[in-house]
Amino acid sequence: MPKLKRDLTMEQQLSRGPMDLPFLMLVVMLTAIGVIMVFSASYATALHEGRSATYYFIRQAIFAVAGLAAMYIISKINYQHFRWMSVFILGLALVLLVAVLIPGVHTVRADHVKRWIRSIGPIPAFQPSEVAKLGVILYFSARMAKRETEKKRKFDLHTTQGRLLKKMDEIGLLELMPYGIILLIIIFLMYKEPHMSGTILILVPAAAILFAGGVKLGWFAAGGTVVVTLLTLIITQTSYMAARIKIWQDPWSDPRNDGFQIIQSLYAIGSGGLFGVGFGKSRQAQLFLPEAENDCIFSVACEELGLVGAGFILLLFAMLVLRGYWIALHARDRFGALLVVGIITLIAVQVFLNISVVTNFLPTTGISLPFFSYGGTALMIQLAEMGIILGVSRQAAPPKQG
Amino acid sequence: MERENKDNKRKEGTTVGVDRKLNRTILHRTLFLLVTFGLLTFIPLFFRLWTIQIRDHELYQGKAISQQTRDNAVSANRGKILDVNGNVLASSGTVYDVILSPGDFKAVQENWDKKFKDDKGNILTEKRGYYPRPEADTVAAALAEILEVDYERLRAYFEKNTKYEQLTTRVEREVAQEIWQLISDMHLSNSVYTTPTTKRYYSYGSLASQVIGWVNPNLDNTGAYGMESMYEEELAGETGRVVTAKKGDGTEMKYSFQDYYDATDGNDLHLTIDTSIQYYCERILEKGVEMFDVQNGGFVIAMDPKTGAILAWANSPTYDLNDPWTVSDPVLAEYLETVRTELAEKGELTEEDKKKAYNTALGNAQNKQWRNKAISDSYEPGSTFKSIVLSIALEEGVVSEASTFYCPGYYVVDGSRISCWQKDGRHGTQTLTQAVQNSCNPAFMQIGQAVGAETFYDYLVNYGLLEPTGIDMQGESKRDPVPNLIWPRSTFTAGTTDQNTYLATASFGQGLQITPIQLINAISAVVNGGHLMQPYVMDSITDAEGNVVLQTEPTEVRQVISEETSERCRAILEKVVDGGTGKRAYVPGYRVGGKTGSSETLESRRGEDRTIVSFVGFAPADDPQIVTLVAFDKPQPVSKGSNYTANGYYISGGNMAGMLTGELMEDILEYMGVERVYTEEQQAFIDVTVPNVVGQVASVGIDAVKSAGFTVRTVGEGDTVTGQIPVGGAVIPSGSQVVLYLGEEKPADQVAIPSLWGKTAAQAQEILEKYGLYLRVSGSSRYMSANATVASQSIAWGTLVERGTVVECQFSDNSMIE
Repeated sequence: MPKLKRDLTMEQQLSRGPMDLPFLMLVVMLTAIGVIMVFSASYATALHEGRSATYYFIRQAIFAVAGLAAMYIISKINYQHFRWMSVFILGLALVLLVAVLIPGVHTVRADHVKRWIRSIGPIPAFQPSEVAKLGVILYFSARMAKRETEKKRKFDLHTTQGRLLKKMDEIGLLELMPYGIILLIIIFLMYKEPHMSGTILILVPAAAILFAGGVKLGWFAAGGTVVVTLLTLIITQTSYMAARIKIWQDPWSDPRNDGFQIIQSLYAIGSGGLFGVGFGKSRQAQLFLPEAENDCIFSVACEELGLVGAGFILLLFAMLVLRGYWIALHARDRFGALLVVGIITLIAVQVFLNISVVTNFLPTTGISLPFFSYGGTALMIQLAEMGIILGVSRQAAPPKQG
Repeated sequence: MERENKDNKRKEGTTVGVDRKLNRTILHRTLFLLVTFGLLTFIPLFFRLWTIQIRDHELYQGKAISQQTRDNAVSANRGKILDVNGNVLASSGTVYDVILSPGDFKAVQENWDKKFKDDKGNILTEKRGYYPRPEADTVAAALAEILEVDYERLRAYFEKNTKYEQLTTRVEREVAQEIWQLISDMHLSNSVYTTPTTKRYYSYGSLASQVIGWVNPNLDNTGAYGMESMYEEELAGETGRVVTAKKGDGTEMKYSFQDYYDATDGNDLHLTIDTSIQYYCERILEKGVEMFDVQNGGFVIAMDPKTGAILAWANSPTYDLNDPWTVSDPVLAEYLETVRTELAEKGELTEEDKKKAYNTALGNAQNKQWRNKAISDSYEPGSTFKSIVLSIALEEGVVSEASTFYCPGYYVVDGSRISCWQKDGRHGTQTLTQAVQNSCNPAFMQIGQAVGAETFYDYLVNYGLLEPTGIDMQGESKRDPVPNLIWPRSTFTAGTTDQNTYLATASFGQGLQITPIQLINAISAVVNGGHLMQPYVMDSITDAEGNVVLQTEPTEVRQVISEETSERCRAILEKVVDGGTGKRAYVPGYRVGGKTGSSETLESRRGEDRTIVSFVGFAPADDPQIVTLVAFDKPQPVSKGSNYTANGYYISGGNMAGMLTGELMEDILEYMGVERVYTEEQQAFIDVTVPNVVGQVASVGIDAVKSAGFTVRTVGEGDTVTGQIPVGGAVIPSGSQVVLYLGEEKPADQVAIPSLWGKTAAQAQEILEKYGLYLRVSGSSRYMSANATVASQSIAWGTLVERGTVVECQFSDNSMIE
């Protein structure tokens, strides 16, 4: 119906452009492999818990299908709408982060950690930090995108305050204040949960957006110094972190307790060799490897598929990330670019940290592997984020002809 | 971003320059991120994967497999130990250790919580397959009841954070079955389990304990002593393995791989030991230790002189193989009790020290009962050794049966005077046989001199006294030559004054130390035709199917003396028992030969009371089928320096070991089915049971009594026997007169027992016959020399008894004791 088409606005027309097929294929492949790996890694646990062998697999598969559908729908949304939505999503995230600290809202855990909002009615249990990640990425990229369009501020140079503000504006500190305040609030709230790995996964994409958005490099140097100093302090001053570092250096110093998971993970990866023990034949998943279907799912993949299979998965992830940044480079506008940078950095950091941990390249933090680790809401949100990227890709400039 | 540029141009044309610059910044920085996150971060990850999966693959795979598989040992059945007749001496059965894994018990409870508790902590009793939560209290109580152990002790294990706590060891299968039932009833899964192990059963308890030895359950059920240790490899077999895949919770993976390595059962060991002969030897040993108040125990060895096969090997003190740590020997038990009492009185010692001191004493006692002293301890053989010296002298031809020796009670060797054992007398002029019968030291010193040191030493070597016998028994010193026990040849043959003394003392068996097995083996060669055999205990080894794997063939080490010399030795040594110092070993009907010995010890030379009395015997003297060595270490004199024990036994080899050897030989020879052959002289003293002929026709009755070996006197003229003296069933010496009454009334009057003390056997018989009474020599019938007189009688003098009563008399002969 040409009439309709003619009635579409320019923006509407743009949002009906084709999705970036390579990126879509990579997402679908990773999701499919991930769901299949969930089966392999979880059936022993499921049986042990008295459930059907396919219990976790089926649930994950349902979420994957729903997630892919959501991804498609979201990709159809003109991402420009996310500019205004971002404020509300961030606000919702903050509300949820506060709410999760309230007894009765979060799930009851033996270790008194408050990361999950319990399932209410049809809504499954989820982590507000997942919403916060998205909220921060959306809001930060929306705000950064319009930094040059804002009017130049006037300061009353007769007051000390005015002069100070002008000075701050000149060095770029003033524009950073809102970002800083938002991050500090989130850090504080997440610290109360506590949820360190979640905090990292909010901070790094946020920093990536600010970095790509053009914030002066000096601030990253300063921020980096602060973070390194703080980390050093935490590691040297708290026994909790010191113990983690010790386990990282030598997992066999406490093979039964703190070192157990990493040792089991290394056994799994090491058992794989070049070609692996074969799909579905992981022995480490037979109740040896804790959280085999979750944080350690990549170890099971390494055991079953070997270096060849694990390397292939790594390659898929690398291509996904590269294609993601490629989309960012070809985004129609600055908002789209920063948005994709934020999301794809989040995925990249998550992949890097998860695999670093299971291979004992870095000390243990509980970070799941995107598209692979068992967890319905996380998978849904990840696919929704992929939908956003695909949405951006729809409006990207087609490759130049000739 | 090109479009954006256009948009921006349209919106804010004035800031195009700034905007371009910013866009370039964004482009560069995004490219930077692309390289960093898209490429650089993946490089270390890939490198890590290569390190773990390829470089360290085998390390991790090995560790993973070792935790993923359960490698269960399948214990091989230990072979049996049997005696020469196939009686089972030692066998194994399966028993079970009961293990608790407190860590897994907690896991079991946690699993239960996961299954039957919801988020709020409510217990879901309605859930399918519900069962009560396994609690430590109830499980411990149930286990305590089944295992019959202390509840508190068991309960304490549950509090630990370990994976392996042995609750009890070696329970029988019935108990294990109850445990298995409990495990399934209470859903204890792998937190409680049993591991099969074996237990050794010794059917005869203490019989031949030092020979058989035992397996130590604390050392993997390996042989600790004796044949169990000597033939450990043969008996143990080869442990098998079952490798199964398991899950992280320890449960077995069903339908997964399983590798079997079959266990090979141990072989059966057939010994040359004869349980019956062993029993006789142990009985004699025990009897002697008790009779003679023996302090250091003793030993009895019996072997087949033709083959070198050990038929019996008894040690005292001894112990029960089924309970090797318990000290049951009376002497050792008394010693321990003394230690305990003494320690209790010592107030200055702490409880800890007392316990330590007692445990040291207990350890010593246990070692004493476990050790096989007849192989590991050496001693100076004393006069028993003279049998060997005799053979040397006869073989070398330096003496003959016609030689005579004069004994003034001492003999002077290079100026030093060495006395004969008979300190207050002298043997005077003796023939060779008499010198051996008398066990005369001066005579043997002369014989030794005649042989000469070089030749003498050659025979020490040839008789195997300087080397291990090579017997397949634990405890023999493997050092060859055995150091410091016998002089080196150079010392012995140097010809100086001291060295002549060595030869002189060696000639009567003192000054040189050898082991009992060396001695009996050498003497066995003296009497078996001169063949030094290698003694052995293992007759054969058979596998589980009964096929013979190994059969010991008698091995002759060398011929030491000629058949003829051996025969002459046997004849002379028989005379030792027949009227010599060994006459108490005499067994009527059997030709027993032997040699007595009363060994001086290092202690006795220091003036302490320790004599080792021994007797080496062999029978039948014309064709020896058995050689025995009986010895008692340190019979306790009644007072210091006394020659008598508290029971009045004269301390000497002939008197003690010799007497018991006679008893032993009779048992063994009877068991072996050796026919008795009596001389006419002996016939008179053989006990025969009188047949009951009352009611029979006279002629039949008379024939019956006569054919039983009695003479008959009839009273009356009737056709039937109406009475008899003595009554049927009485045991009297053959040749005695039995009175049969044919119609006449049997006299009912009583007679008074006469005193027989000091009378010889012939005199006593004569006196008793006058009264219508009968003589019986007490105990087993012993040949009485003319010198033996009645020492005691069973019915006191003056007692009124019926005619025909048998009076038992004990004879003693103190005319010739060593």
